[in-house]
Amino acid sequence: MTQYLSQLYQRLNAVRGRRVFIIPTRFGFIYAGFLILILLGAINYSNSLGHVLCFLLVSMGWVAMHHSYRNVAKIEFINAYANPVFAGQAIKFNLLFENRCHRTSYQIELTSKQSKSRSWNPFERLGGFAHNYTITQLKAGDTITVHYPVPSLRRGYQSLGQIRIASQFPLGLYHTWSYFTSDTKVLVYPQPLGALALPLSKDSGDQITDPTQKGNDDFSGLNTYRAGDPLRAIAWKALARDDVFRIKQFTGYQGGQLMLSWDAVAQVADHEARLSQLCKWILQADEAGIDYGLNLPNRFINYGYGDVHRHHCLTALALFDNE
Amino acid sequence: MAGLSLGALPHFIYQPIWVAIIFIAMIFWRIMAIRHFWPLPTKQISSFKLIHLAIAGIAFVLLFISYGNLIGRDAGVALLTVMLSLKVVEIRNHRDYYISCFLGYFLVVTNFFYSQNIPTALLMFIVVIIMTASLISLNDSKKSLSNKGLIKLASSMLLQAIPLMLLLFVLFPRIAGPLWGLPQDAHSGKSGIDDSMTLGKISQLILSDEIAFRVRFKDQIPAQSQLYWRGPVLWQTDGITWTELNKRHVMSHRPDFTTSGNEYAYTITLEPHNKRWLFALDFPSEPPLTPASHYTYDGQLRSIKPINQRQQIRLRSYSQFSLNPKQDDVINNALQLPDKLHPRTRQLAQTWQQQSSQPTELINKALAYFNQNDFYYTLTPPVLTGDTIDRFLFESRRGFCEHYAASFTVLMRAAGVPARIVTGYLGGEINPVDGFLVVRQRDAHAWVEVWLEDQGWIRIDPTSAVSPQRIDQGISTIMPEGFNTPLLMASSRQLIDLWHTIRTNWDALDNAWNQWILAYGPELQKEVLQKLGMTKPDWQTMALWLAMGFVLVSLLISFYLFYHRPRYDPVSQLYSTFCKKAARAGCVRPKQQGPLDFARALKQGYPHLSQQIDHITELYINLHFGKQTVSMSDLRFAIKQFKFTPSN
Repeated sequence: MTQYLSQLYQRLNAVRGRRVFIIPTRFGFIYAGFLILILLGAINYSNSLGHVLCFLLVSMGWVAMHHSYRNVAKIEFINAYANPVFAGQAIKFNLLFENRCHRTSYQIELTSKQSKSRSWNPFERLGGFAHNYTITQLKAGDTITVHYPVPSLRRGYQSLGQIRIASQFPLGLYHTWSYFTSDTKVLVYPQPLGALALPLSKDSGDQITDPTQKGNDDFSGLNTYRAGDPLRAIAWKALARDDVFRIKQFTGYQGGQLMLSWDAVAQVADHEARLSQLCKWILQADEAGIDYGLNLPNRFINYGYGDVHRHHCLTALALFDNE
Repeated sequence: MAGLSLGALPHFIYQPIWVAIIFIAMIFWRIMAIRHFWPLPTKQISSFKLIHLAIAGIAFVLLFISYGNLIGRDAGVALLTVMLSLKVVEIRNHRDYYISCFLGYFLVVTNFFYSQNIPTALLMFIVVIIMTASLISLNDSKKSLSNKGLIKLASSMLLQAIPLMLLLFVLFPRIAGPLWGLPQDAHSGKSGIDDSMTLGKISQLILSDEIAFRVRFKDQIPAQSQLYWRGPVLWQTDGITWTELNKRHVMSHRPDFTTSGNEYAYTITLEPHNKRWLFALDFPSEPPLTPASHYTYDGQLRSIKPINQRQQIRLRSYSQFSLNPKQDDVINNALQLPDKLHPRTRQLAQTWQQQSSQPTELINKALAYFNQNDFYYTLTPPVLTGDTIDRFLFESRRGFCEHYAASFTVLMRAAGVPARIVTGYLGGEINPVDGFLVVRQRDAHAWVEVWLEDQGWIRIDPTSAVSPQRIDQGISTIMPEGFNTPLLMASSRQLIDLWHTIRTNWDALDNAWNQWILAYGPELQKEVLQKLGMTKPDWQTMALWLAMGFVLVSLLISFYLFYHRPRYDPVSQLYSTFCKKAARAGCVRPKQQGPLDFARALKQGYPHLSQQIDHITELYINLHFGKQTVSMSDLRFAIKQFKFTPSN
């Protein structure tokens, strides 16, 4: 039955577009109560202006409902993106919203829910929603990027799930809300953990001592930037001088090459802990300027360095054995 | 807070001064707390909490002393005012804020117990705007709206609410009140003619400009001198005060009367005076249908319930009548005089009685006496002490209608002619704007009825013997020029006229307000709805109309809120016709595609047309992005000529 209703709701939704829900708040009910009292008083004293005031306030409440609806109805969710994070870190989502109305919207509260299915129950208001953020003002036709942190749960892809925008503007008599479902997925790397040291000695047989090999320690000159060069090596001062991207070249201790393999962490008992250990090693190797590769049971990544390579390796860890 | 203050402002007029003082002090405290960080009564700072409590305690004691209890209209309103002001200082969270706002609305309502005129209504709208603005600011936590923006939004919401309000006002089924008992003092403080008369009392009314009632005549308006509005009839006297004949069983009988002469149909809108009598043109042929009322034996019309709200009364009167022509026991009451009082008056009356054979002769003698001696009609008679009638007739000789009516009655009774005083109003002023006859308190009058065998009770107005002007032209001729005109304006004739014009227009507006807004109850609603075409105005039909109206108004509001006319400039419009042509040929321009990209895409499909496509695109870009070197007609022409002919 629930499933049937859920399906029906989603079908309806497809026909009509986004749904906006509205119910009176606590103050809305109190307001209504006061109005009833005023009406009773007006009737009892046959007071015409009492009637007028009561009807005016009723109408104000009614108009406020439309304003409240308007405030939320034309806010559109455009997309969301976020950079990969390590498990345990907050995912810093950037949510892009647009006000498609020709009037300004105010006080839009954002919440999200970590669930994949969209609820058919409109009264599911606060259950499961957390992490408030408020857009105080969104002018007509404007877009806004909201930095919205969401805690990462576990390695792998994590989607934003359901986002709810809600508002009580203008009078606080109504609670208006609407849902968006985002398909945006963010990669969560394993948490870098582990007590094992970087397995340097084992695998450093073919160490290269050529001084021309690039290293991290001693500055040896500038070279033109090529795609894939690490951002942190960009010579910003030089850039300011003559507008050419250059890379600082270093020579010095060469870390050599290092293959981080699944076997090396075989002593760690837990599956996830092994991945965490590998993750930590990758970061350490990257930091140390060692060329490293990754050898997993179902995946082999050859030696390399740089941000792209690191992402490559970490992605492999994040998605390892993930059905 | 400003809204609360405004809402409370009118109450200061009706309430003891200390209520205002406490209110203002509390508001001041709050303002100082915001501006200069004065401490507020919180749980942490107990001394201020104590001060707050002490003020509350004092207020309650004062309330109790002033009103004796806390139940009743005035005490209740004072209580609400004081409580609200104490609450203002205590506001800490959203809930307090909301409750204060809602109580503020209540305060506005209570204001309507005292006054429901147009300024009060305007004040109400202003208060609602301010309250709404403060509610908005409460929900605008980061203060992204300026004060001006708040007021603007609140006002626009109010304007949008007005159609719905009118709809509700007209269509919401009205129920006749009261639903429960009203407090004792619900209708106090209404002025008007009393059921007793002491010399000097009516002249207090004379200085009042308040409206007693308004009359709309169906056809013609009788002459000013015929506009005797009959009120309470006074029989009994102790020599100073005159009162009604207090014999219920007699009074509740319908008198024996016949009417003749001109017929006048009219509707009176009677201001509430909290008494049971109605005022009818002398002499009404039937009691009105509403309010439920009956005749008294001396020819008054009395409502079953006191008139404590504005009433519309439909009546029909005749210019001539004969009232109780047959002798009965009640007439003896019209001969009663206090023992041993008015010796000189009695003596005079007895002399006349001996000289005349007919009662009519006696009447004429008395009227002639007023006319030929040095009696003056004045609004400011000297204060009489002792035997007022004797002193008036033989010494001061300066008086007002009541003096003449009372002394004439005493003369008649002393001479053996049954006589009684009728109080009410004489005349009125026709408002040229809406044609209503306006009768004010200052038109209050007293005249005499004497009983003559076979003729019954006949109206004699002794004032006419002294000041015929008062009878023929109304009270305003007696008033000094510029009476009731603001002091500055009284200096010139033109300004007085201007003032008069403003006042008549205002009166007409006020009257329309009373007739249509304030008098809108179950009966008037029925009438109006029938005129609007509702054949059967029962509550189901009203609910249906109301629902339809709600839907309609909601649509209008939504339309206003959401609809935004896209403002295309003519150049874009021309270009969009080009795009439509392309779309018809099968090349739809994606939303985000620029004109150059679109041209490129088009040229791929129609290489033979590339020259024209480039031309149009170039013209459009030049026009749209600032280069005014090309003319729009070129573009129009180029687009008009353009046809998507498939390449062969």
